[in-house]
Amino acid sequence: MAKVPLYLILGGLIPSFAMPVLARWKREACAPLAVIVCGGLFALALYFSGGMVGKLQPIYQAVADWSPPWGIEIAIEPVSALMAVLITGLYLLIALFSCRSLKKEISVDSIGWYYVEFLLCMTAMLGLVITHDIFNMYVFIEVVGISAVALVVSKGDRYSTEASLKYLILATIGSGFVLLAIGMLYMITGHLNMRFAGEVFAQNAGQYPYMIWVMMTLFVVGFGIKSALFPLHLWLPDAHASAPSPSSAILSGLVVKVYIIALFKLFFIVFGNAFYQQSNIRILLLILGGAAMLFGSFFAFVQLDLKRRLAYSTVAQLGYIYLGLGLATPWAIVAAFYHLVVHALMKTCLFLCAGAISYQTGRKKVTGLQNIGYTMPLTAASFTVAAFSMVGLPLTGGFISKYLLAVESMGAHYPYFIALLVLSGLLNAAYYFPIIWQFYFVNEKDPPERRVLQKDKIPFTMQLPIVVTAAGIIVLGTAGVAAYGYLQQIVVHFLG
Amino acid sequence: MNWGALIANFPYLVSVVVFGIGIIIVLTQSNLLKKVIGLNIMTSAVFLFYIAFGNIEGGVAPILDPAAPAELYINPLPSGLILTGIVVGFSTSAFALALIVKMYAHYGTINAPDFMKMR
Repeated sequence: MAKVPLYLILGGLIPSFAMPVLARWKREACAPLAVIVCGGLFALALYFSGGMVGKLQPIYQAVADWSPPWGIEIAIEPVSALMAVLITGLYLLIALFSCRSLKKEISVDSIGWYYVEFLLCMTAMLGLVITHDIFNMYVFIEVVGISAVALVVSKGDRYSTEASLKYLILATIGSGFVLLAIGMLYMITGHLNMRFAGEVFAQNAGQYPYMIWVMMTLFVVGFGIKSALFPLHLWLPDAHASAPSPSSAILSGLVVKVYIIALFKLFFIVFGNAFYQQSNIRILLLILGGAAMLFGSFFAFVQLDLKRRLAYSTVAQLGYIYLGLGLATPWAIVAAFYHLVVHALMKTCLFLCAGAISYQTGRKKVTGLQNIGYTMPLTAASFTVAAFSMVGLPLTGGFISKYLLAVESMGAHYPYFIALLVLSGLLNAAYYFPIIWQFYFVNEKDPPERRVLQKDKIPFTMQLPIVVTAAGIIVLGTAGVAAYGYLQQIVVHFLG
Repeated sequence: MNWGALIANFPYLVSVVVFGIGIIIVLTQSNLLKKVIGLNIMTSAVFLFYIAFGNIEGGVAPILDPAAPAELYINPLPSGLILTGIVVGFSTSAFALALIVKMYAHYGTINAPDFMKMR
């Protein structure tokens, strides 16, 4: 038991394929089963992660007893254990939320099928963060991609169909790039296992400079399309805005992040930190990350649909993560990681709030949110906390990561990125604060919908995930020093 | 320019050119079916790339005959990998085609610019 990380993958895969059968027999049982599966995997991930706190010893396992250079190897490193805890924990909350909210958002017949994609996506994300085999990584990337598209299209209306088709086509182009790059990496190193490929790569890197340039560019463009790096983000707003709200939370909070984790693993396990430090690709990441911070926020500012605004905000926040990756000092990478974790929490919280607001009041525009602060006090308070964290106000998790990114852009001798960080933060404030202002301080002259507001109150299972994620943001912001110290330890261990 | 190296690596050149053609089809054609065909051309180019670098000049199929072992075998791994790639490409295009059918049911057309008008 202790040495079987494979359960992290199988534990989600088998129930996921049991879902349609279960749905035929007893449709109401699907959502609770998903909650139970996510809870179990969360416990397992906590167990693996907790076992690593002191000693940072990775757990390696060869699948089907084929020893590492040839067979597929699964490795739970401290970083991937943390990501597994994040993924399964947020999935538990989102599954809880989806129990009731989905009944209103998608047709009742497709609920069983929805949970197939729901669990499959989690399985593939877990596989992506814990696998140590490059081609296996590609397979998981495709599974994440296809199930994420299916999560969008499950709503079934024309907008989500169009958005998902756009997402599918661009994601396929992205994985084509990644597959080509994996081929080139295999040509250079002759290994598919990340550790062995890394060893050979360190010896051979000088011999194939052009090929390595092409390969790294292909990797960055491929993962950039899939994780919506700024000029390649075109699919994201449509897909994230038109999906059902649990799907939006998954896509925005987790799916775009795991591709960044895959890029992290390639950069620091295969290419090695020393090689990455002197490669030009990080300048590209810096420039695109900075552009994403600015333009993503700007595009978010002009959106009127609440979920579209949140989706463009994701583009901007991914820019922060890429900025940290581009600065490439160890502390900047820790800050990027911290922002990845915090952003997963805040964007999940915000999308769930948007889902809850539209569940209770049917309102989807940012101009129609008056009095929410009094009719849905906990939801509005959580939204406020998450929005403050987005802006980067102190006592929230977003403050710590943005502060550290600012410090590190000074330390890495790119001081002008501080101006960008401040500008992007101000733009964030400019599009989040009007929403909060409406929650609390704008009175409707004539509240015809007041009765509707009270009619369909959101149930406890939808309220709890929102409050828990908001509390998580506060915890990361206040007790963040301890979390930060641990994160620094594991990232430095990861960088080698 | 080193033409000899280019001719020796001809399959790679072909696969990269075909890859580019596939992407151009996806990005420029407005018909959704043609976009899916473009995706297939693009992924086929990647398959060709894998098979090309798995091949070794003068190698034989990697079947070990104890009576007469050959001197040089080709690398079977890329071909094995690309079997997975083909399956993935197949499922992606099947999914895309299913979505296109749904698009046709919603909009009555599969021509991309028409969707913008209908919004």
